[in-house]
Amino acid sequence: MSSPEVIYVWRWLIRDTFRQAMANYVFWVMLAASAVVIVFCLSVSIQRGGPLRPADDIALFEAPKKDPQRALDARPRGSLTLAFGAWPIPLGRDGVAAVRDLLLLLAEWVVGAGGTLLALIWTAGFLPEFLQPASATVLLSKPTPRWVLLMGKYLGVLTFAGFQVTVFIVGTWLALGLRTGFWVNSYLWGIPLLLLQFAAVYSFSVLLAVLTRSTLVCVFGSVIFWFLCWGLNYGRHCMLALQSSMPPLGSGLRGMVEACYWIMPKPVDLGMILQNALQAEDVFRSFEELQTIQRIGEFHPVLSMLTSFAFAVVMIVVAARQLGSTDY
Amino acid sequence: MSAVAEFEDVGKVYPTGLLGRGGRLAVEHVSLRINQGEVFALLGPNRAGKTTLVKILLSLCRPTAGRSLRFGRPVGERQTLARVGYVHENPAFPRYLSATALLEFYGALALLTESNARSRTAQLLEVVGLADRGHEPIARFSKGMVQRLALAQALLNDPELLVLDEPSEGLDLAGRRLVRDVIAERRKRGFTVLLVSHVLGEVEQVCDRLGVLVGGHLVKSGAVAELARDPKTGARCPLEQALERLYAQPGERGACA
Repeated sequence: MSSPEVIYVWRWLIRDTFRQAMANYVFWVMLAASAVVIVFCLSVSIQRGGPLRPADDIALFEAPKKDPQRALDARPRGSLTLAFGAWPIPLGRDGVAAVRDLLLLLAEWVVGAGGTLLALIWTAGFLPEFLQPASATVLLSKPTPRWVLLMGKYLGVLTFAGFQVTVFIVGTWLALGLRTGFWVNSYLWGIPLLLLQFAAVYSFSVLLAVLTRSTLVCVFGSVIFWFLCWGLNYGRHCMLALQSSMPPLGSGLRGMVEACYWIMPKPVDLGMILQNALQAEDVFRSFEELQTIQRIGEFHPVLSMLTSFAFAVVMIVVAARQLGSTDY
Repeated sequence: MSAVAEFEDVGKVYPTGLLGRGGRLAVEHVSLRINQGEVFALLGPNRAGKTTLVKILLSLCRPTAGRSLRFGRPVGERQTLARVGYVHENPAFPRYLSATALLEFYGALALLTESNARSRTAQLLEVVGLADRGHEPIARFSKGMVQRLALAQALLNDPELLVLDEPSEGLDLAGRRLVRDVIAERRKRGFTVLLVSHVLGEVEQVCDRLGVLVGGHLVKSGAVAELARDPKTGARCPLEQALERLYAQPGERGACA
């Protein structure tokens, strides 16, 4: 099968996945959820959100000025208002920091945790449905190789997830930028990072779908696997961050944790990369262990991304080989 | 006459049990040749191995013994599947698609160009009598309509080999006539049809040759007229009677293959 033919078939499979998502209402529900959050962002405004201290008061190598009046000026002065001014929240620092905090909250928790969970649950049934013997036998008797079908469906789900993430991230970025005047462009890194996280976890769901053809197994399997990855990722960082204050772990256990960490997807690391990109770490304090791990040089963002990507590739290759040798 | 499908001493054992240590025999020592331009029927009781043989021919499962060829090439080479159409015994299609969307999608998977798939879709919906329901979701289709749709998707690539696994299941009289008309049209154009059916009237009416599988073994193959003849007197007898005799006499295994 030539490359243009493969791309042609993938295009149709991507289109089919979108039709499947629309028919299951998952497409519209996720779009509606994004719209709600975008409207929420449009309701945000910053009142007197200038720098916390006068510019001439920032002196790294001088003793702080003791003028009592200046100390009064140094108190938070502005506020962030939600719901079109109905709910004011005093600013902890300045306006741009408040926007960065809000963006990090949206990227890490609303779409990174909530969105990923919903997408995993809703899309987990796509492949088992596609691979049910009664419908798959006809598909698999076409000249298109099985790996092309599987990969096309995987790409279809990723395109769907990518579309939803893009709508959410770009929509909230535009809404907050327009309302507050602070354009935090690094927030847009959330699109590839969140998609990478989803791609890695969903690849495991693909393997489960090929092995079992059960929606239930895929839903629970992928969600449990995601939590397991999170736990392993965080656990490894804790192990390294606390090694000086805790009794030493056995080399076998330590080696096993390290091996699992490097093999598995790394959702915590991807979140830390986004947090660093947003420069939100000073004001939206992450776990102490995660700061320590960065300080001691045991956090490798590029390797974290590459190994998460490699995990997805290996899972898809294994799933394709398994599907290729399955009797229908 | 060139062979469209050939099986040489083919066997298939499905793995069973934990880690596939056990096995269930589906077909064994089957040798069969289906020639170009003929309508060949594969008959046998339930669990005789008919569908397994069809699946081997369509690369849906791999034989554990013997050699299988499709258009003179090993069945593992998928390119020749572009010349095959297949109707499954219990067809099921994505319920969220309309008949038109499904045929265009399956046309793409059969590697038809977009414009060709579109024109074939319109043409085939007309042929199977679904032209006025083309934009309705398949979820609203009756079993007979799904069966007609299955026939349409099998004809998308104008196949040289049409494999029909119990195509009349769930069809009304008009639907059954449609199946017979399609088979007659394929034969007229010099194409091959492999029919798996329990409807013996249909087999007698449209098939040139047949093969009978019992317990995974090919117990008889030959012309339909030859089988519908009493082996002792040579007088013509109903096909059903001849088959009942074959199904009940596993001793005939291999002798007539």
